[in-house]
Amino acid sequence: MSSSYLDRYGRARTVCHRLPPRLKILLTLAVALAAAFVPPRMWPVHGVLAVLVFVGHTLARIPLAYLARRLAFFLPMVLVLSISVPLAAGFERGWEIMWGILFRSSVAFLAVVWLVNVMPFDQLLVTLRRLNVPAVLVSMLAFMYRYSFVVWNELEKMQTARKARTFGRRRVWSRWKSASQLVGMLLIRSLDRAERVFGAMRARGWDGRVRTLEE
Amino acid sequence: MHVPDGVLSPAVCAVTGAAAAGAVGLSLYKLRDSLADRTIPLTGMMASLIFAGQMVNFPLFGTVVSGHLIGGVLAAAVLGPWAGLLAIALVLAVQCLLFADGGLLALGANVLNMGVAGAWGGYVVLATVRRLLGDGLRSAVAASVAAAWLSVMAAAALFCLEFRLSWASDYDFSRILTLMVTFHSAIGIGEALITGAVVSFVAVQRPDLIHVAAEGRRPIANAGRAVLAIGVVSLAVAAFLAPFASQYADGLDSVAQWTGFDKLSATRPLVFEDYNTLVPGWEKLSTSLAGILGVAAVLAIAFVMSRAAALRPPAAGTGHVE
Repeated sequence: MSSSYLDRYGRARTVCHRLPPRLKILLTLAVALAAAFVPPRMWPVHGVLAVLVFVGHTLARIPLAYLARRLAFFLPMVLVLSISVPLAAGFERGWEIMWGILFRSSVAFLAVVWLVNVMPFDQLLVTLRRLNVPAVLVSMLAFMYRYSFVVWNELEKMQTARKARTFGRRRVWSRWKSASQLVGMLLIRSLDRAERVFGAMRARGWDGRVRTLEE
Repeated sequence: MHVPDGVLSPAVCAVTGAAAAGAVGLSLYKLRDSLADRTIPLTGMMASLIFAGQMVNFPLFGTVVSGHLIGGVLAAAVLGPWAGLLAIALVLAVQCLLFADGGLLALGANVLNMGVAGAWGGYVVLATVRRLLGDGLRSAVAASVAAAWLSVMAAAALFCLEFRLSWASDYDFSRILTLMVTFHSAIGIGEALITGAVVSFVAVQRPDLIHVAAEGRRPIANAGRAVLAIGVVSLAVAAFLAPFASQYADGLDSVAQWTGFDKLSATRPLVFEDYNTLVPGWEKLSTSLAGILGVAAVLAIAFVMSRAAALRPPAAGTGHVE
């Protein structure tokens, strides 16, 4: 997992990136809230929201192809979920609800994608701390973000090693067995690593608080 | 499994968000003594492990579709209920914030469905089964299989309830419950297999890593355990018996009307269709069938896996998979 996939455009410098961090979070929350709150019959509001999100993405110079790819993964899942409403009514009604759900969730989804791509994760953590999210939670989040790349690399190494030592076309059962052993081994190694990291951090004077340069 | 924004109504989002915040706060409070200690790195590492472990594909019998781990019960089995819930909440928050997987406003609902049902509910099942079967390896594996399956079913039932309260008047509760329960009894078997296999591997290689709520190692307080057990049992009952008790759906209707949930849905076409376009009684039959088959399959898996785990000696050396 390359770190660039997640917040790929987070380090660019555009108008949107220069906005105050708290304003970015509030804007995203406001758009998501409005998309969820406003009833479908007030469709002009939804149109305005969609235009707003689109303008935001354009100003942040996030390519359309990237958005299309993210949406291509997102839409089928919501479609499966929302089609259950007409399905539950025997395909005779509930279509409005289905379209409403699809539209609202897409707008909210694109708003969050915008937030991620105008705000690197470390900035998000500092902002969350300023918004009075408990310090412990923020430290855990920082720890998790930092080490998910490490754990992911370890997983890739183990998968490569396994591929190098086994032949293809194995039976399903043995693939399940080796996949679960992979996860189990990864778990053991990660927890051992957590112990080591904890010891090393303790030795350097860590007291459970994450300090940033801006404090 | 991740609920996106726009699927649940704002009121339901607010209620589930408050409940999830309360659950996270309670977990932080319970962990307050050990927080400066190794809990922070352990929880963060466990969260990134679940995050990475979800990328490992488990092939589904020759199809392109593949299953993956959800991880609530695994987190509870290793970290205990409180840190386990925090780990799942972290995973969900990162998935929401970085992948936009699961909505921002629906984060509370997701934490409730997967974290509370998975880590707390799963832990209650784990603790109960282990109390019944003892502290051995076999009981650990059997308990995690049962807990994993039940946690998926509980998440599906919770989602149905939230969905129902969001769109009160516009859909047929028992039919959607049928769909969800049928799908998820199959998904739950996958989760049960994966969790059982991972736990049995870890329990053989490093039994010290599996959390045991022995005396003095912060077991859940009795009152909390009772409340959680009642919650899990009622969810299970809701999942399996709701289609049979038509009064139950009516009860939900009246609750929805009473609380005003039904006014939230904007469109309300005339309700004058016959609901028995499908075979009458189909949903009752298939729901109970799915339930019975699921329970039977989970019992079989638990039995076979616990036997296999008991037979397998620890591998020599450190047991690296590489």
